[in-house]
Amino acid sequence: MRIGERAEIGTPLRPVRVGVVGLGRVGIVHASVASAMPNVEIVGLADARSNARREAHGVGFRAPMFDRMSTLITKTSPEALIVAVPHDLRPRLVREALESKVAVLTGRPLSPQLPESEALALLAQGNDTPLACMHALPFHPVFAEVRSMISAAPLGSIRRVRASSYRSLVFDPARQAAFAAEHAAGGVVAHEAMDALFYLIDCFGMPREIRATTLKLFGPLEDESHVMMTLPSGTGVGLDASWSVPGYPSPATVIECDGDNGRLLASDDAVELDLLDERAGFRSGHARLGLADLPQRARFDVDGEATYLLMGAFLAWVAGGEPPLHRAERSVRAQRVLEAIYTSASRSGEAIPLAATP
Amino acid sequence: MTAPRLLLSLRSLSGPTLATRDRMLEIVARYREPESLAVTLAKAAAVPVDGVLTCATPMLRAALAELETEVPLFVMVPAMSEYERQELGPGLETAIAASRARVRGMAGLRVGWTELFHPKWAGGGDFVARMPVLVEAELAGLKRDALRGVVLDAWFTDLALAAGHAKFFESFARYVQRRCRAAAAFETRNLGTLLARLREWGVKPDFVIGPLNPSGLLMKPNPEELLAEVQRSDIPVITGELCAGGVDELESAAAYARERGAHGVAPDVAEVDDAGAELRTLLRATATA
Repeated sequence: MRIGERAEIGTPLRPVRVGVVGLGRVGIVHASVASAMPNVEIVGLADARSNARREAHGVGFRAPMFDRMSTLITKTSPEALIVAVPHDLRPRLVREALESKVAVLTGRPLSPQLPESEALALLAQGNDTPLACMHALPFHPVFAEVRSMISAAPLGSIRRVRASSYRSLVFDPARQAAFAAEHAAGGVVAHEAMDALFYLIDCFGMPREIRATTLKLFGPLEDESHVMMTLPSGTGVGLDASWSVPGYPSPATVIECDGDNGRLLASDDAVELDLLDERAGFRSGHARLGLADLPQRARFDVDGEATYLLMGAFLAWVAGGEPPLHRAERSVRAQRVLEAIYTSASRSGEAIPLAATP
Repeated sequence: MTAPRLLLSLRSLSGPTLATRDRMLEIVARYREPESLAVTLAKAAAVPVDGVLTCATPMLRAALAELETEVPLFVMVPAMSEYERQELGPGLETAIAASRARVRGMAGLRVGWTELFHPKWAGGGDFVARMPVLVEAELAGLKRDALRGVVLDAWFTDLALAAGHAKFFESFARYVQRRCRAAAAFETRNLGTLLARLREWGVKPDFVIGPLNPSGLLMKPNPEELLAEVQRSDIPVITGELCAGGVDELESAAAYARERGAHGVAPDVAEVDDAGAELRTLLRATATA
């Protein structure tokens, strides 16, 4: 276990000028949350679609609006941009912002193509410009707690990890085609399970081998997947994902972890820990921590606690704080695993070795 | 308009809730048929509660049709399933289109008349200009005698709050009070922040609804600031999410809220097992307080 950082709330310690590019749901949610954050000023909004700009204005945002990101940068000199655009537009806009030395928080993956994501992460490092992706799961109060629990290792040696990521999203070919039209990196794994993948790698380390099978129900993208990752220790980490299962209007993640000294079960509602012996400050027996038992640090909530926390951590970095969990190189690490998953799936579940990555 | 003291909330049936997934599966199964909802509504009306906080869903309309007694309604606008909510964009037009598609027969006339004065071509996407159309489309077909209040969904409230759209809050309250002759209210997930802004702007809806519970869950910006705002504000606060997802006990959570300045409480169907008995207990406690 190599966890040294916690997904602690950060907020910028000095004023930060922020622009938002892409005024769909994600962009407006982030603009709303940023507006409510101390030391953050929204200096401009941009979207090529005039109706999106009109709707943002209709909501009440009065920051200057632009049809191009480049104009926003030139006219308002933001220090950071929230780039909330579809997959196919993302790499070009992120590159343009980084070349202007403007920090970027954007969707994940950075690009549908792994080499391009790697190049963007390197560009950010070379420019000394913060670049992070919207991996929300590590900032969810329950999963932030689970992360620190795993770090403390009360379970002893981990024998088995199973995770699932479900959402009710695609039930016909037209719906899937809408995702495919954006030249997405993939189907359910790239869209819905990417955060769980990022989280598992962050908690348990980079796997040495991947096996994956997928099921395509409604089109060219996978609708269901079964992934088995083998850690260097030999421990198996499984991840099942589906976006074609009823009963999950919002994304639902479950993680089960079996160790020598007991078991941990985490969901969006709560984490349960069953220990055989007292260890690492955790008592033996059953313990349950629900959302109400955990810290609620966000000062504003539009779409859940995690959005505020992940943006706060990013903007704190922009203002000179520590690099956050969701920085680009970590996202790229998860994308390498994502690519191995698709390679394995395309070869009917063949084992794909992964190079050791820190 | 008098703010209610006790509402039965059906929010969890068509909106975000802190109830656990297991509890929600149980509740959805319990209220699969309109008849079972009608029984709960009848029990609530018999207590009597000041009203039922609900979206004007087809299920609600079917349940009301089963009843002979009138149930006072505080209608949450717009009616959206949790699936639709997850897909909803920032603007009003998607919600208006979905709402208009549900309007049947003569009820459409009033919506059409409202749209004549608030056309999409002139104010498309504008919260102030287009909200009346959404409100009328949502209320279409409901008995106006039963309407006690119109409550704006937290998604729209909180977006406008973040954007600092004072004029929208003022115009919504004015429209509902004057045209619908009902109480105007805002649901929020940022109760402390909303109360502070409304005070600053001098906007006075009839009440606001937001989370307040002993666990402090979803009390934004934080429990201390929220409770201070509740004490300071002259806008009645109705508290929701009393049980903080099943952690806090209903009766003591309601007492906690009242002691800290809440005007009324709105326990959700996911927070009660025997609606009649538990609401009656809360009513007695409210009367005593």
